[in-house]
Amino acid sequence: MHMADALLSPAVATTMYAASTVAAGASIFKVNKEKESIKIPTMAVTAALVFAGQMINYTIPGTGSSGHICGGMLLTSLLGPQAGFLSMIVILAIQCLFFADGGLLALGANCWNMAFYGCFVGYYLIWKPIMKSKLNERLKLIIAPIVGCILTLQLGAFSVVLETSLSGITDLPFGTFVSIMQPIHLAIGLVEGLVTSAVLLFIKEARPELIKDLRPTEAWNCDAAKDAKSNGKLSFKATIAVLAAVAIVIGGGFSLLASSNPDGLEWSLFGNADSGYSQNMGLDEEDYGVKSTAADKAQSVQDKTSILPDYGFKDSDSFLGTSTSGIVGIGVVAAVIVVVSLIPKLVKKKEKDEQGDK
Amino acid sequence: MSKGTNKASNALNELRDMDELANGDSPIHRLHPLVKFLVTIAYIYFVVSFSKYDITGLFIMLIYPVLIFSIANIKVSTCFYKLRLVLPLVLMVGIFNPIFEGRAGVVSMITLMMKGTFSLMASFIMVATTPIDGLCAALRKIHVPSILVTLLLLTYRYIGVLVREVAIMTDAYKLRAPKQKGIAINAWGSFLGQLLLRSMDKASELYNSMQLRAFKGEFFYASQRGLNCLDVIYLVACIGGFVAARFINLTETLGGLFV
Amino acid sequence: MIKFENVCFSYENGTQILKDLSFEISEGETVGLIGCNGAGKSTLMKVLLGLLPHEGIVKVSDLELNKNNLEEIRRKLGFVLQDSDNQMFMPTVYEDMMFGPLNYGHTKEEAEARVDEVLEQLNLTYLKHKYNHKISGGEKRMAAIATILTMRPKVILMDEPSTALDPENRRRVINAINDLNITKIIASHDLDMILDTCDRVILMHDGKIIADGKTEDILRDEKLLEANHMELPFKLQGLREFI
Repeated sequence: MHMADALLSPAVATTMYAASTVAAGASIFKVNKEKESIKIPTMAVTAALVFAGQMINYTIPGTGSSGHICGGMLLTSLLGPQAGFLSMIVILAIQCLFFADGGLLALGANCWNMAFYGCFVGYYLIWKPIMKSKLNERLKLIIAPIVGCILTLQLGAFSVVLETSLSGITDLPFGTFVSIMQPIHLAIGLVEGLVTSAVLLFIKEARPELIKDLRPTEAWNCDAAKDAKSNGKLSFKATIAVLAAVAIVIGGGFSLLASSNPDGLEWSLFGNADSGYSQNMGLDEEDYGVKSTAADKAQSVQDKTSILPDYGFKDSDSFLGTSTSGIVGIGVVAAVIVVVSLIPKLVKKKEKDEQGDK
Repeated sequence: MSKGTNKASNALNELRDMDELANGDSPIHRLHPLVKFLVTIAYIYFVVSFSKYDITGLFIMLIYPVLIFSIANIKVSTCFYKLRLVLPLVLMVGIFNPIFEGRAGVVSMITLMMKGTFSLMASFIMVATTPIDGLCAALRKIHVPSILVTLLLLTYRYIGVLVREVAIMTDAYKLRAPKQKGIAINAWGSFLGQLLLRSMDKASELYNSMQLRAFKGEFFYASQRGLNCLDVIYLVACIGGFVAARFINLTETLGGLFV
Repeated sequence: MIKFENVCFSYENGTQILKDLSFEISEGETVGLIGCNGAGKSTLMKVLLGLLPHEGIVKVSDLELNKNNLEEIRRKLGFVLQDSDNQMFMPTVYEDMMFGPLNYGHTKEEAEARVDEVLEQLNLTYLKHKYNHKISGGEKRMAAIATILTMRPKVILMDEPSTALDPENRRRVINAINDLNITKIIASHDLDMILDTCDRVILMHDGKIIADGKTEDILRDEKLLEANHMELPFKLQGLREFI
């Protein structure tokens, strides 16, 4: 699910950076406030562990294939949402820098898609409520990771589709794209959930205190009580931060929709008019009554983009719709590149010659 | 790169190779990490901002990575192995463009692949010429919070340790279960779980060792030095070049000279 | 230099690990801490470093170990961990060595001078800019010792400094220990190394001090060692008839 730089437009990438930064800022505030300095080494080692854990292939029974984990939910269940989010950011940064998995510009989006949902949504919506419930511990540790992983991966996959479509990268209709991505990630989420659950069940036997919220009353009584008290206050702040981040994404998303990308707006408001999609949906563009400037603007941009191929291609008969000078230009640049890439060899040769002279 | 079946060993090799490249010496290696970081971000930003039909305009952007690879004395082909992760995904998204859009779709698919490859080359060359501590120092300079940078540095350090453990454990597992493709379901929990328990002990040892040396939350980075005029020239030249390439179709202009 | 008076330590669940320990170590002594697994050697060291809480009185240079004196006391003590990977958390040897002095408020120049001095002293100058995850196990152990020495501790504590080393590297560590002119406390199962480095031995078993005396006396006492699940050092085994 790691998005590459090429799949995002600068506007979408920047919006996602802003959103992830808000979430990271709130997390840093919370983690610093906790003043548990032991947290940093624990976070680092756990992040390294999850990274290493991604290298393990798990045989999926009955299929002959194997899968691996991404670890967002595992991190959350061990470190809690804020510390988990920060650790996940670091994992994603290392993957993008050293393994070219994801991209530098796409890091914001990747943090959002893979870490934000897994850590915050997974924790506050799934993990915490289930841990607080009166189920038996074993059952909790089976249900929470599986539901959490499936849900958060679905959200992540949906965001990938949304971000790619908003970036205007693909001509694949949104609906088709979603219908490809979601089922794939359902299977991935299920496997991830099962592995996470298996690991947590093992940990429960050995060191249950490592699992977040599993046994709230038992764990180091006074600290836990303090934590619970302050939690109420902080989760309010966290909520606000989360809301702000969500608002940025939605606001940024819609402004993008309205300004630069007609496809997305077209889809979301009217469906695909060409294929009669809007009629199928019982919507009619004219009667729908959207007459905002944004819609007008979108319409004009849409006209431009829909005309673009024709006018790029019909008027000039050259290959791929570019002018002759464009093609010659490509040739010149290619020649420059070849020459440039020969520099090291030339330098080495010169050095050798010089050594030979001596 | 020697490739075995053990994913973890492969990852270790990849890390080691990057390390070795980063510790080489060239004019690019000697540039200030912060400058390299900013130029890389700018480059990727400009590359992805090209219109999806602007194949000629985008093409000239290839000069930057190739030039830097050359000056840094690193073969361009060293980064191709990494394309295996980026290109399939980009292709998966781009492959539909020709289907839906015909010839224009072919153009947009090609620019998409170019964008993917170019931005990968740029971030590869940054990491291949900048050691991790230099990168962390640069991040601190632009005020990335210290907790994140500390975390990045420590995680990077312990990835080496833990991935090695996974490599050893996977080998040990395979030696006793040669026919299995991965870890069987009855060991799903204990395999990673065992490592997790050991890691937690490691974390508390690490914490102790930092406490005993009076760690107060801020690291010191060896590669701290000020910007010199070469750095500034590089920064201005690169970004100026990117801006020019973005707003003037240099490829066509160049071609025009010859037509 | 170091004084333990009726020191106890137990875990929260009530298991008592250290039982009423009293001893004194004077300046310049090299003390071997021996005993089987779980005897309490590492716990004793961690108590001394203030990493674990304790009952009773622990004194370092007449300062009593408590929250107020913790930093002052830790400044005097250097602890070499058993697993060097846990100790060397910075990317390069150089940065790791700088870490301690800088955190204790020394200037960069001062710290740098100390690093060079220690590296020279241990013949490790070639390691200075090497990456911690790339150097060999033996080099890593030496570098870990160097890291601690840059803080110029008055007392150095070592937990199993000779484990998992080849004979040459083990000898290198032993020589390095012998060349140090400070108070040293070494916890180990490697009795041959203890014999080569220490002038005094404290034998622990089940959280208690069983014997405390000259290395020669204790390590030659086959019955005492066997009663505490240990064996004569190899060096002395051939000489059995002379003991």
